[in-house]
Amino acid sequence: MKSYHDITSDGGSNVVGQITEQVDRLNARLSSVGHCIAIMSGKGGVGKSSVAVNLASILAASEFRVGIMDADLNGASIAKMTGVHGQKLQYGASGILPAVNVEGIKIMSIDLFLPDEKAPVMWDAPTQKDAFTWRAMVEMGAIREFLTDTEWGELDYLLIDLPPGTDKLPNLVDVLPRLSGTLIVTIPSKVSQFVVGKSIQMATDLLETPVIGLIENMYAFVDPVTGHEVPLYPTGHVDRLAETYDVPLLARIPFDPHLAEAGDEGYSYVSRHPASLATKAYNIISEQVQLFVRSSFVERSVDTGGNH
Amino acid sequence: MKLTETRGPDRGSMAVLFGCPSCGNEIAMLTNAMETQMVRSLGVKIGGRSSAAKPMEMLQDSLATPVTVEAAVVVDEEEEASVAEGSASKCPFTGMVEEAYAEPETFVHPTEKSSSASGSKCPFTGAVEEAVQKQTATPAEPIWTPEAEARIERIPAFVRPMVKKGVEQHAREKGYAEITADVMSEARGVFGM
Repeated sequence: MKSYHDITSDGGSNVVGQITEQVDRLNARLSSVGHCIAIMSGKGGVGKSSVAVNLASILAASEFRVGIMDADLNGASIAKMTGVHGQKLQYGASGILPAVNVEGIKIMSIDLFLPDEKAPVMWDAPTQKDAFTWRAMVEMGAIREFLTDTEWGELDYLLIDLPPGTDKLPNLVDVLPRLSGTLIVTIPSKVSQFVVGKSIQMATDLLETPVIGLIENMYAFVDPVTGHEVPLYPTGHVDRLAETYDVPLLARIPFDPHLAEAGDEGYSYVSRHPASLATKAYNIISEQVQLFVRSSFVERSVDTGGNH
Repeated sequence: MKLTETRGPDRGSMAVLFGCPSCGNEIAMLTNAMETQMVRSLGVKIGGRSSAAKPMEMLQDSLATPVTVEAAVVVDEEEEASVAEGSASKCPFTGMVEEAYAEPETFVHPTEKSSSASGSKCPFTGAVEEAVQKQTATPAEPIWTPEAEARIERIPAFVRPMVKKGVEQHAREKGYAEITADVMSEARGVFGM
């Protein structure tokens, strides 16, 4: 009797060939993308999407070609925050054309596939019973297709906004091994450090994914009258987190009510408040990201003797 | 082995029955909804692809209420037909089943007989519509006699629904109006119960 490992053919399905073809198509698509950067946090509600939108805005204003892929399928907000919600998607010559906002940022989000903004993501199936067994696989399939079948064109940066959860980065890395780096967003609370620490551990030790650095969001409230910063949480936890995991703390972004307003109205905060403390923090993050990718390029050049 | 019959879909599952032309032995491939969804999520077609996947095929096929993506470029009719053919069935097993139905000159795919856009998003769309039609055409369900019902109650609960379905299927095929203890014994011989 033959065992599974004795079977040399899958009856003509060529599933391995089909998967290989998917990988080839993904690589071909992303060959015109300079750097893929994941924005992540183990914790929800820390402002990952806000960081993605405002960082993209600053990079785009610096003449870089930028795209954002919203990988948070069940909490998608990028389309709304960038003002492209409701744009109709179109087929292009080799895929689906992304939505483009007023700053020229290319956006792909599941929100663009849903009939209205109240519609939740529901996967069609003969039965929703026991859907937990396959839902995660369908979601990863969707992310693979976002990367592969969106006509991103030539991009300098593709920012990938990940959902909360320490398992999300490993899932992404399975689909996209050539991730350039990760930005890890946290807030100053102890609880956040507890969860975010696990994400850093996952990124650095297990996946060996380059961590560009930590971003401390909502660290303080800026008094609109005096301009003084008033801490919203006990301070020092994020510094200790950065020290513990030996990752740089890139910037601290103060809370500003206008940030929420910008997200709700679909424009980038940094474009309307260029002199604010929060925008200054975003500028620092942008500079650090550029520095990181430049030094990575130099490192790779040294490692490969200039051959890429 | 040669495909002899498909049964279902029934709550997201179907059975594909294969028989050996020389010895008559049969083997059934049973699927369940979860496995089918997993295959769909991989974006592969069992039996191989006859045309390239359309962009975001899995996503668009899997969302319960997706919006329509508009065509931005004009494609020629031949290419359009090819795209339509490749996306007609959402079933990852379509290719395999079509191939197994071996006689193209007599086999008319169910998707050609009735609209595959009938609203059904069952992944087995085309291949099983024929089986559905068969079931629909069945005049009446056979009635269980008290004696037969008492007998089926003695079967362990975890296999009872499957056995019950098998007996009912057997009774329908034979045209029996009633399921008696004798019919059960007969079915037992046929299904090896």
